[in-house]
Amino acid sequence: MLSAIRQRLRVALLVVGFVCATPTLAEEPVGTLGTVGSDTMAGLMLRWGEQLARQHPGMRLQLQASGSASAPPALTAGTTLVGPMSRPMTEVELSAFERHYGYPPQALVVARDALVVVVHRHNPLRSLDRPELDAIFSDGRRCGADDSMDRWSALIEGDIQGHIMPHGRNAVSGTHELFRREALCNGAFRPDVSEHPGSAAVVAAVASDPRAIGYAGLNHLTPGVHSVALRDDDGNVHRPEPSAVRSGDYPFTRDLRLYVNLPPDNALPEVERAFLDLVLSPEGQAIVEELGFVALPQAVLERQRRDLGLEPLGS
Amino acid sequence: MMTWRRPSRRAARSEGPWAWLAAGSVATSLALLALLLGLLAVRGLGHFWPAEVSLVALDDGRQLAGWAVKESPLPGGDGRERLYRTGNRDLDGAIWDWVDLDEIREVSHPSDLVVLERRRWSEFIGRLEAVETESGERISGESAWPALERRLTALEQHRASIERLRHQVIRPLVLRLEAGEASELERERLSAAQEQVREQQAALPKDILILETVDGRQLRQPLTEVTDALQPNAMGVGEKVVAWSQGVWRFLSEGPRAANTAGGVWPAIFGTVLMVVLMSIFVTPFGVLAAVYLNEVAHQGRLTHWVRIGVRNLAGVPSIVYGVFGLGVFVYGIGGHLDDWFFSSSLPSPTFGTGGLLWASLTLALLTLPVVIVATEEGLARIPESQREGALALGATRFEMLTRIVLPMAMPAMLTGVILAVARAAGEVAPLMLVGVAKLAPQVPVDGEFPFLHLDRKFMHLGYHIFDAAFHGGDVQAAMPLIYATALLLVLVILVLNLTAIFLRHHLRSRHGTLSK
Amino acid sequence: MQHTPSPPPVRRHFRQTRDRLATALITAGGIGVIAAVMAIGVFLAVEVVPLFWSSSDAPRINLETLWLPQAYEGHEVPVHRWQPAMPEGGGEPRFGMLPLVWGTLEAAIWALVIAVPLALGAAAHSALFMSRRLRARLKPTLELMEAMPGVVIGFVAGLVLAPWLDDHLALGLTLLVMLPSGLLLAGGLWARLGARWRRPLPMGWAALWLLPWLLVCWFLSSWLSPVLEAWWFGGDLRAWLEVSLGLDYANRNAIIVGMAMGFAVMPSIYALAEDALSGVPKSLVEGAEALGATRWQSLWKVVLPAAGPGVLSAVMIGAGRAVGETMIVLMASGNTALMTASPLDGLRSMAASIAIELPEAVPGGTHYRLLLLAALLLFVFTFCVNTLAEVVRSRLRRRYRRMEGLG
Repeated sequence: MLSAIRQRLRVALLVVGFVCATPTLAEEPVGTLGTVGSDTMAGLMLRWGEQLARQHPGMRLQLQASGSASAPPALTAGTTLVGPMSRPMTEVELSAFERHYGYPPQALVVARDALVVVVHRHNPLRSLDRPELDAIFSDGRRCGADDSMDRWSALIEGDIQGHIMPHGRNAVSGTHELFRREALCNGAFRPDVSEHPGSAAVVAAVASDPRAIGYAGLNHLTPGVHSVALRDDDGNVHRPEPSAVRSGDYPFTRDLRLYVNLPPDNALPEVERAFLDLVLSPEGQAIVEELGFVALPQAVLERQRRDLGLEPLGS
Repeated sequence: MMTWRRPSRRAARSEGPWAWLAAGSVATSLALLALLLGLLAVRGLGHFWPAEVSLVALDDGRQLAGWAVKESPLPGGDGRERLYRTGNRDLDGAIWDWVDLDEIREVSHPSDLVVLERRRWSEFIGRLEAVETESGERISGESAWPALERRLTALEQHRASIERLRHQVIRPLVLRLEAGEASELERERLSAAQEQVREQQAALPKDILILETVDGRQLRQPLTEVTDALQPNAMGVGEKVVAWSQGVWRFLSEGPRAANTAGGVWPAIFGTVLMVVLMSIFVTPFGVLAAVYLNEVAHQGRLTHWVRIGVRNLAGVPSIVYGVFGLGVFVYGIGGHLDDWFFSSSLPSPTFGTGGLLWASLTLALLTLPVVIVATEEGLARIPESQREGALALGATRFEMLTRIVLPMAMPAMLTGVILAVARAAGEVAPLMLVGVAKLAPQVPVDGEFPFLHLDRKFMHLGYHIFDAAFHGGDVQAAMPLIYATALLLVLVILVLNLTAIFLRHHLRSRHGTLSK
Repeated sequence: MQHTPSPPPVRRHFRQTRDRLATALITAGGIGVIAAVMAIGVFLAVEVVPLFWSSSDAPRINLETLWLPQAYEGHEVPVHRWQPAMPEGGGEPRFGMLPLVWGTLEAAIWALVIAVPLALGAAAHSALFMSRRLRARLKPTLELMEAMPGVVIGFVAGLVLAPWLDDHLALGLTLLVMLPSGLLLAGGLWARLGARWRRPLPMGWAALWLLPWLLVCWFLSSWLSPVLEAWWFGGDLRAWLEVSLGLDYANRNAIIVGMAMGFAVMPSIYALAEDALSGVPKSLVEGAEALGATRWQSLWKVVLPAAGPGVLSAVMIGAGRAVGETMIVLMASGNTALMTASPLDGLRSMAASIAIELPEAVPGGTHYRLLLLAALLLFVFTFCVNTLAEVVRSRLRRRYRRMEGLG
């Protein structure tokens, strides 16, 4: 009989314990966040995922990084709610999403990246303007150059003589697209621009050849090379410094975005909320800086948090 | 008077200059092979040896500490400069420094220089000033380093227990919760475990290390961010050997970190082995079947002769062509249809309609099929007719003769064929670039989730990892030592496989030599 | 006398049926597997046909636009361009495939230029002069060399050899001259040595004891090359090349690719050439030597003509491998689609283009089909070359059997 009482007591305690446990369960996000999208942002997404798992032990990030073009179809189909992209969605992609859901996807800027022209560390070249870039890199010169520029003697004086050896990315890369659009006015590259599969390879190639010039993402610079500032038509010089990139002053800037499927009533699932909360926080932006991208200004962070319905920072 | 014998003229007539060039060709080839293997061995294995940290004092009073990596001539021809790896990315913005050799006043190796491997940023190189414990106690001077070592060991144990909790308790429960199958008890256990992890994380020692770089900047480094601490200049040879073997073990057992510039290649090893095993499962039955058909069943006429030549020539077709076939037929063709029929709910995100483990294994199986067919045929041809005739004379059917007499005798040849196939597949990268390899897939295709073996997942591969780290990584110069180590590992694996096949073939020849008598 | 009863008819019938079933399955399976392997060519051909038979919406593709220079927008004169991936607003894609074919052939030719002398020299020495024991050890060693994965060779070529040669171009040139001269010098010195010195350094083991000699030549070259560079090329070989010969030295160029692919292809050529040379019936060689020929003379006048087709087929198989090698070219060539004759410029091969561009090409589109056309060309070329080589080799085997019958 005593054992029966003990048994019932145990059950009662269990029920009470469960009832008390449930509210904590509701606060603690648990689950897998699946994302599909850009490979430029893969490192960033993985670091955010690691940090998220450290804060919420029940959470996990799964990333399929096959390129920006894979994010819009996954968002539209509902396979994922968060899609990283290193370029903006095209009209076609946006309208496909809107047709399906009735509202547009929310575009969150999470970091800024810049495309930088680099030369060897001993190359005295300090700045270039768009016609000169056109003359060095393009085949067909749609962007203002009269003639193609082949030799360093046309640009600098000193120990570095000879032929200009251009390096760039291969055609499947977003960096390649960006450079072609901005610096070559959508023209074609010269056939003798060496193609590399990654920005790090471009930087390594330029660092090993004093006659080389190339373009790469800002987060890949090493002391083996130095960046070249851009001169605009008025003669102003824009250096690729983080402050210039943050303010948008430097021309070859691109935003790294997370496209979020956010219904109009701001009701995101727990898991996605926790992730975006981390991304748009000082911790998340510190990770951005650590990976070599440029963090966002405070105002932009606050505004985007408001749009998502997250608590403002500092609370 | 003795005639002076002229051995020179006779010798010159007997060999001639071309013979020496020919001998030199062999010597040159051997030298190139030795150079390549030596380069991989020295730079690959040497990376794990804790090198001495140099303290460089420059003419202008600046000081830097790091490892010398390479030298390069200055343009203009006068002088050279040296690249030092100085770490401290959070303080300097970069981990490298180029130094003009003419500006170096003095290079020394003080024994109190400390190298800390960290979770974030790069390693730290400098001096340990003091250890501030949570309770406010400040340990400095001689006892700082031993205190750091003790606390780091304790921290490691804490971290290990947190990881165990995460992996063995929380993860499976989360999966069951997501699948909607968790009972009340399991939910409770999950939240209790989460609480426990939180508590343990809060209980991690909050020690702060007071560090100072060699040029005087201070850094307060939380101990929880540190994964390893060394004083390379103060280590004896025995300690260095231990550190070296630990480094090699970590390389083989951990995954890549920090954009392939640190960590190890375990997922790549696992992916390569898994793919090769799957490929063998596909290729062995089909290769043996085709070889048995060609050699035993088919009528040995002109058609069979031409088919045999054709199959041999397919071994010489470039591997990229097989990759193209795999992409067009397996991935887009069969995979697209599988997606339409079975996985249409997750479209347009492809499940099987994109590269993955299954398609990569099938493509490589097709690539190595000719190798297996040729090797098995060689083995079957070596079996003397008398054995077959004897079996038939004793009343066996052809099938019984094949399964009971011929195939067991041809087993070593089949094995040689499979080993050669595996050796070839382990080194082929080009077709995998088209059909299945991922840039970064730290989740291995076998895990605790049903169905345990995920044939649709992308995987990492040793050969592709070399290509990826050399071209796609974050900092090629920083990744170089690991690329050498991975290349050495791949070459060793392939050499061992080939040696096994050669040995087996040698053993075969001597065995069957007696049989045919 | 008792005899074992024959098995009951039911069991015999079962075994026979099983045999027939098994034979049918093996036949079906065997034919199926072989057909699957042959299907590669069929698949490629089928996919490529729509390119030429095609509809109006695809950009103009015909034999002219593929192989002849075109006057693209922005160019006054017709040029060859391979630029298949153009974004919107960037103009039409340019599908000139000739630079790719040129690049593939250029890489293969430079690979053979380096591999063939090494491989044939090694085969000649190994078949005629080398001691038996060394030869038995050498064959597996060179087989291991053949097993080196292309990605490792490409990595070393692109990331180690290319920067090194860029910095040490004069040393490379000096080595090219010094090594053969050093070998000839070694031969001359050896011939003048007394018999006492020649015994520990026999010709049969020359491959091994020449290794330290090569090291000596290396040191001599590295000491000599700055002197030569200052003397003849005004201190900077690279500048001299640009100024006097108009040749620009690209960091990753055809010579680097040639060296790396030559290293990769040389063991295949060696193995087959050595088989051919040592398969010549001994009676021929012995007859020549009995008539007073030196070993080299008998090689040149007797063995080579007899084994000629085998050596040729070895070179052909090497060429087939060189044409299809992907990773080395991808990592060591710069991937620039140029059509120049200078070996100091980069190149772009068909295999490397396929590896880079196919994953991103839209299936069924023009770019995709063109890449499949490139794959088809590679397939047809290697298949034909290998078949031809095999035919030549079987003829050679028959010829040897005839010779042996006569001898």
